[in-house]
Amino acid sequence: MTDWKKTAAALDPPIPEADVEKLVPVMEALEAAFRPLQQKLTAEDDVYDNSCIG
Amino acid sequence: MTILASAEALRAKKVSSLELTNDALERIARDNQRLNAFITVDAETARARASAMDAELSHGIDRGPLHGIPFAHKDLVYTKGIRTTGGSRIFAGFVPDHDADIAIHLNNAGAVLVGKTNLHEFAYGITSTNPHFGAVRNPWDTERIPGGSSGGSGAAVAAGMLPLATGTDTGGSIRIPASFCGVTGLKPTFGLISKRGVMPLGWTMDHMGPITKTVRDAAVSFHAMAGLATGYVPPQSADIRGLRIGLPVNYYFDKLDLEVAESVRAAVQTAAALGARIIDVKVPDVDALNVIGRVLLLAEATSVHREHLLHRRTEIGADVRTLLDQGRLIRGSDYVDAQRLRRIYIREFSKLWSGVDCIFTPATPTPAPKIGEMTMKVGGADEDVRLATTRLMRAINVLGIPALSIPCGFTKSGLPIGLQILGAPRAEDMILRVGAAIEDATGVVGRRP
Repeated sequence: MTDWKKTAAALDPPIPEADVEKLVPVMEALEAAFRPLQQKLTAEDDVYDNSCIG
Repeated sequence: MTILASAEALRAKKVSSLELTNDALERIARDNQRLNAFITVDAETARARASAMDAELSHGIDRGPLHGIPFAHKDLVYTKGIRTTGGSRIFAGFVPDHDADIAIHLNNAGAVLVGKTNLHEFAYGITSTNPHFGAVRNPWDTERIPGGSSGGSGAAVAAGMLPLATGTDTGGSIRIPASFCGVTGLKPTFGLISKRGVMPLGWTMDHMGPITKTVRDAAVSFHAMAGLATGYVPPQSADIRGLRIGLPVNYYFDKLDLEVAESVRAAVQTAAALGARIIDVKVPDVDALNVIGRVLLLAEATSVHREHLLHRRTEIGADVRTLLDQGRLIRGSDYVDAQRLRRIYIREFSKLWSGVDCIFTPATPTPAPKIGEMTMKVGGADEDVRLATTRLMRAINVLGIPALSIPCGFTKSGLPIGLQILGAPRAEDMILRVGAAIEDATGVVGRRP
């Protein structure tokens, strides 16, 4: 899983250290929910566009 | 008075647009200090416009049901010559040099703009506890939030200041205030109402729509906002016999306040008593859709506000700043994958429409929380207020389908409860018909804060 503190520090400009702590648990939970969904994707799966709505 | 009742009274010369507008301005002057629903009120321009609309009617020029009706725009909608703050300190002095498309359309329909409503900063949140313009308060209990981000619009309509206010909805921002304030909110199919000239938040999930007291008022407002010359208005005693109403057997009723669950199920029974067929449906993975929606919105909103975040960071409220920081952490490839997953889930969800005409769900899992609450109990467990409140709605923005939120009951403590009616793409007229039938049968809309 991503090291969010490291990622936040590597941005230009970095996210201020004081603000990073509260982001970490939220990003960890979001990543934990999102990565398994990505496993569903195949090369056939195109990106969304407005025509998808129907 | 509703839009349609006012429209009838105007044509019968029982009231003038100027009188309706003065009445709205008096109500705003009386109640806005308590509710903080408005950021800007332009009484002088509104009165001049109302007089012009009266003159037109007296000369036989009739622009339709919104002719001479006072209304407000959410302060995210560009209005030429009137400041448009987006609920942000950064835009506190911004005066657009042109109107948004919906401002043009409502102007063409003869509506009378009286002011701009307060909102969650940048429309990025559900409380409307705005750090720059003050917290909007719920007319049913001023210690509680009106919902958001279109909180001022919801509060203004619920308090009877106006019969119509515009809203935007990226993850529930029309339907949440409608649910918490006991009014009607329509989020139409993605793209049916132009977004041009409305400050964006998430380009692929932003929707425009009306917040009104009644479903029929929402119908006439929706058609005007979309720039449609004529539109369907549900008739009295709208017939829903034989209509197939889907009732989710998974997700939507899993974690709910008990009174909300009871009230929504009662609405389902009402529909059945009116002749609709109730059909159990298993909906695709809504949690997955919500996760996809969050990834998309975090990235899109930060794309919109990156320059503000990087160069005017301290002028942004803490909660919005945190979300914008999160958006900086979303990888480009993850955003693209979220858009690819979106296509898969839209395809899965659309299969439901072969078996049902619409789907009933609760609008929000709870009634309005108190101002300042960060977590709340839902079905016995603690949940983050923002995530809980958007839980039944965010997926619908990912899908882009129309959704109507109407009041269907009240808690014992007197707080409104919302019913959400979902339809297939472009099925606005059908969900409005169903909504009108439920509204007529429950009589809930007659109750006042």
